Amino acid sequence: MVIPNPFRRRSPVALSPLEMAISYLILIIWTGVVIFPLYWLLVTSFKLPIDVNMGPFYLPFIDFQPSLHAWDYILVGDLANDTRRNYFNTVVVAPTSASLALLLGTAAAYGLTRFEYRPRLGLILCFLGTLVIVVAAITLGAPWQVAILAGIALFVILVQTVARRFQRSLKNSDIAFWLISQRMLPPVAVVIPIYVLFQRLGLLDTHLALIITYLAVNLPIVVWLMRDYFQSIPLELEECAAIDGASRYRIFWSIVLPLAVPGLVATFLFVLVFAWNEYLLALFLSGAKSQTLPLTVAAQNATRGPQWWYMSVLILIMIVPVIAIAVALERYIARGLLVGAIKG
Amino acid sequence: MTTERVSRSALTEVGIGTEAPTSVVLRHVGTRVERMAGNVFILPAVLVVLFLSIFPLFLSLSLSLSRLKFVKGGFEIKFVGLANYHKLLFGSEQNHFLGVLGSPSLLGWLFFLGVMAFLIWRLVRYIRAGSSSVVSLVGRVLTVVLLGSIAWLLAHTLSPEGRPGTVVVTLLYVFIGIAVQYALGLLLAMLTTQRLPARRFFRVVFLLPMMITPVGIAYTFRMMTDTDKGPFQPIWQALGLGLYSWVNDPWGARTAVIISDIWQWTPFMYIVLLAALEGQSVELMEAALVDGANRWQVFWHITLPQILPVSTTLILIRMIEAFKIVDLPNVLTNGGPGTATESMTLHAFIAWRTLDLGGSAAIAYMLLFLVTFLSMSYVNILRRRVVEV
Amino acid sequence: MKVRWFVIFVLLTVLVTLGAPVATVVASGPEKTAPQEKPFEGVEVNVLTFTGPQIAEPLQRRGPDFTKLTGAKINVIVVPFSDLYQKILTDMATGTNSFDAFVFAPQWMVDYIIPGYLEDLTERVQNDKDIQWDDIAPFFRDFSATYAGRIYTIPLDGDFHMVYYRKDLLEKEGMKPPATWDDYLAIAKAFHGKDLNGDGDPDYGSCISKKRGAQAYWFIFSVAGGFIQSLGTSQGAFFDTDTMKPLVDNEAFAAALDIYNETTKYGPPDELNLDVGDTRSLFTSGRCALSMDWGDIGTLAIDPQTSVVQDKVGSVILPGSTKVLDRKTGKLVPCDEKICPYAVDGVNHAPYAAYGGWSGGINAAAEPKVKDAAYAFFSYMAQPAQANVDVTIGKTGFNPYRISQFLNRELWVKAGMSPKAASDYLGAIEDSLNSPNMVLDLRIPQSQRYQQVVLDQAVSQFLSGEITKEQCMKQIYDGWEEITEELGREQQLEAYRGTLGITK
Repeated sequence: MVIPNPFRRRSPVALSPLEMAISYLILIIWTGVVIFPLYWLLVTSFKLPIDVNMGPFYLPFIDFQPSLHAWDYILVGDLANDTRRNYFNTVVVAPTSASLALLLGTAAAYGLTRFEYRPRLGLILCFLGTLVIVVAAITLGAPWQVAILAGIALFVILVQTVARRFQRSLKNSDIAFWLISQRMLPPVAVVIPIYVLFQRLGLLDTHLALIITYLAVNLPIVVWLMRDYFQSIPLELEECAAIDGASRYRIFWSIVLPLAVPGLVATFLFVLVFAWNEYLLALFLSGAKSQTLPLTVAAQNATRGPQWWYMSVLILIMIVPVIAIAVALERYIARGLLVGAIKG
Repeated sequence: MTTERVSRSALTEVGIGTEAPTSVVLRHVGTRVERMAGNVFILPAVLVVLFLSIFPLFLSLSLSLSRLKFVKGGFEIKFVGLANYHKLLFGSEQNHFLGVLGSPSLLGWLFFLGVMAFLIWRLVRYIRAGSSSVVSLVGRVLTVVLLGSIAWLLAHTLSPEGRPGTVVVTLLYVFIGIAVQYALGLLLAMLTTQRLPARRFFRVVFLLPMMITPVGIAYTFRMMTDTDKGPFQPIWQALGLGLYSWVNDPWGARTAVIISDIWQWTPFMYIVLLAALEGQSVELMEAALVDGANRWQVFWHITLPQILPVSTTLILIRMIEAFKIVDLPNVLTNGGPGTATESMTLHAFIAWRTLDLGGSAAIAYMLLFLVTFLSMSYVNILRRRVVEV
Repeated sequence: MKVRWFVIFVLLTVLVTLGAPVATVVASGPEKTAPQEKPFEGVEVNVLTFTGPQIAEPLQRRGPDFTKLTGAKINVIVVPFSDLYQKILTDMATGTNSFDAFVFAPQWMVDYIIPGYLEDLTERVQNDKDIQWDDIAPFFRDFSATYAGRIYTIPLDGDFHMVYYRKDLLEKEGMKPPATWDDYLAIAKAFHGKDLNGDGDPDYGSCISKKRGAQAYWFIFSVAGGFIQSLGTSQGAFFDTDTMKPLVDNEAFAAALDIYNETTKYGPPDELNLDVGDTRSLFTSGRCALSMDWGDIGTLAIDPQTSVVQDKVGSVILPGSTKVLDRKTGKLVPCDEKICPYAVDGVNHAPYAAYGGWSGGINAAAEPKVKDAAYAFFSYMAQPAQANVDVTIGKTGFNPYRISQFLNRELWVKAGMSPKAASDYLGAIEDSLNSPNMVLDLRIPQSQRYQQVVLDQAVSQFLSGEITKEQCMKQIYDGWEEITEELGREQQLEAYRGTLGITK
């Protein structure tokens, strides 16, 4: 059987009317489950405090008289400056870090599936040791230029003397596991050290600090998800290209990446969303200038309890751009891999 | 991993062999850049991660072995050895961290014995196979001991007289949550790959929960779970539960947390599985259908093996993330009633917030230990097998 | 091989270098030289507090006025309320010092004072006539703002617990506002399960926020205070001032736990999961006959956007006890003139200044001129001309703390309170503020661990039935002792005595 248009391939099985009905029922039920809390946010954003407190009201104009007071407060009134600034910061930080993470992570994932790395354990330990000493020195106040030069010297000496004696080496899967293991420590355990690190670098309260942090935090996820996609892409194509004289970079850029578009899009959405919504690291790394929106949301629970109406407005205005991106990118996920077509 | 080796050798030979003979210098540069390709691909990522992970890792390890104290002129970090860990496992925090042990019910015993039987059977089979090195044998014995103790802990703290500590509560969140999320995500992904009208609408809608900031989701679900002025109040009243509040009941509150977690994270499973299903080979399926296989057989023998590698990754990532659950219990119940909904990260978070940095880091490291151990066992037992088949 | 490591270091260096230009930008802050017409022309003060509107709003509103007056620019930086304590401490402890002044809960101040992060304001206050220090209620002047005899903070707000009741309901039934906790329980019982706001649904006798990780651990001491402390603020209600032994393993605390637990019976079904936001909204929507809270209900209740009980709310000083703790024996003994010198009609009241009232403190590491400007700003905010207006505005979150704020009730009427509501509300505040037996909140080093971790968890476990009363008391006692031992008993005792103003 030949598929005429590779972009319109779907399950080849046609559904019977009954199956169709059941499928729709399930889909609609889950849609309801997903939508209802969002609907509730929407109506809450139009309620006065008293409408929230007096019990559940569902329909504006019928149950209660809607008010724009919360929208006014967030977008025009007292909080407008904060909202605008934090919104801008989020818009700068999240897409930048997500794109960088996608770029570096995809490259690393490709490397891990197509090359064999055998880093020697001895070298790694020497390198780590030096790095720790350098970072500790900078943290304790040594000038960073001196620290790095001393570190390089120390490293060369260590490599010449100690590292050559250890011959054990790691495998690709070890590298991958090491990467993902970086996500295992809960943020509370790393936030103060990261704060100190950026403080010594003088990067606190800059967009750069947040971008670097989210980049590092999200890289492992990109690497792992993309690794699986690359493993499912057949090698023949790349080998053909290599015979034709294409460089590795070219193979990666113009053959492998286009094939991995669904995975790339899905992964990009995640890292974008993670960076868009991150709270704890943003709280510590930002001051007045680079605060992001999740802080504004969390801040609506203050001494007088959660301000549901303000919170609802903020959550809604936060998800609108992400939904727009998701809608725009959805068709790329749906496009599907060309694997089958190529194999055939 | 055989495929990788094949690929590398094939490409190496081909790549170098076909270098165009232009000029000696250019060629030299070209091959050098080519030869470095492997490093160029991976090093940026490794370096960025290294840059931000090594220092925090070591600093929080050293914090977990010490105590922070404010003295005149600043603070002092005093080394206290394993005192913070001792406190969690045997000292004043034991009831909180591990839970209160009670004698297990029959079901508990069955569960524990079942797990032990399985583990020991695996170990025996492994030793019988004869290809064991000392290191991997030690590793496997350790696995049996640790998984066995987790089963023992579950059986004892979930008994009628026992009370689960933050470790057990976290494990419950992780395993129940992931199982339901995976099943739901797969079901929805399969349905939306069918030829259904309005498919695209569902696809976008199902992604929505993932896009809300976790703190926001937690507050949204605090409204949802409120049975006094939340949207389900009339239903609650109609069921005659007006004077009962589920968030005041330990299991009710845990259920509320798990439901919210499922709502939040099913989209993650959904979108990755959707991409995986979209990427599967249709020819195989069609061939099988032509051969008269029914739909269940197609799913079991063709679809599932194709999405298994992605699934195992997905579950691993989700597992690592799920162990860090903190926003939901923190906002929904603040870990209450009592300590019923407190996860390990929340436990660490409360300690951290009150400047008990040593105690907090110790909990975080216990969590790191548990997650590393569980995910390594997971990778060794399941993923490697799935991916290499 | 060598090439690879060279690349590593190049990349690492690049990463680090990226930070350098930004660092220099941050380091060279704005420095302008301006004509000296105004005392602080060109000075910028970064003030950190939490995201309002409460507290932050008046600072932001009055900042520009202050700039016109003195030339100093006030930048108000806000972070979420829940993380303010950590943020302030991290900023100062790591030497970042990106903030010059803070508006925070003075409960935290000892953690900042002992390492030397907070500026001593004693001389400045003594030389400042405009602040009218003597007009500030004695409790806030002598205890809240001071540590070991030195002034470190400028009060901007008065915080303590009171009991609110539905005046209309109690009058209809001919009941008097509660004077003791037994009265409180009796009233709660009488109204529990009745419809109190006319919507047909049964309502609740008493609403107290008992959510874990929220405010529950303060309310238990509001109940216990009257049983434990009777000889005035400096007697202390948490620890023995000689031995630093916790005062929680005695009949007084047991009685308080019993009462606290019994109020749950007359509360909403999900009371263990309510924070003050929830109980306030329940009370202002008319669903509770009684509630215990800070001053906020008073201003919320008159706001038609939030309340259906305008002019139906009364407030009284926290109920007390006719028996108090004998610290030698751990038993309760009946009040007499000797052991309860401040008793009213035989009832010992001990209003609890929980949290302490938002106050301004100054970073000791700031530039001298910035410190002066920051002090001038806090002084400006606290002067009666500004403060007495701000406390009448609900949005500010400022509650009264000056004597003149009671004397001039017109201000309150102007703000929208009916004269009667104003006198009810202010009456309770005045009674509490004038009480020499106010309970000072715990503010020794790491007090958050004593309260938010040990006390909060034990009380929450007790209320939810996870542990018994005896276990609860033992758990608090042992937990507190453990922290005290860990941090050094001598140091903790010295700090505790310091906060209570006890000098050897």
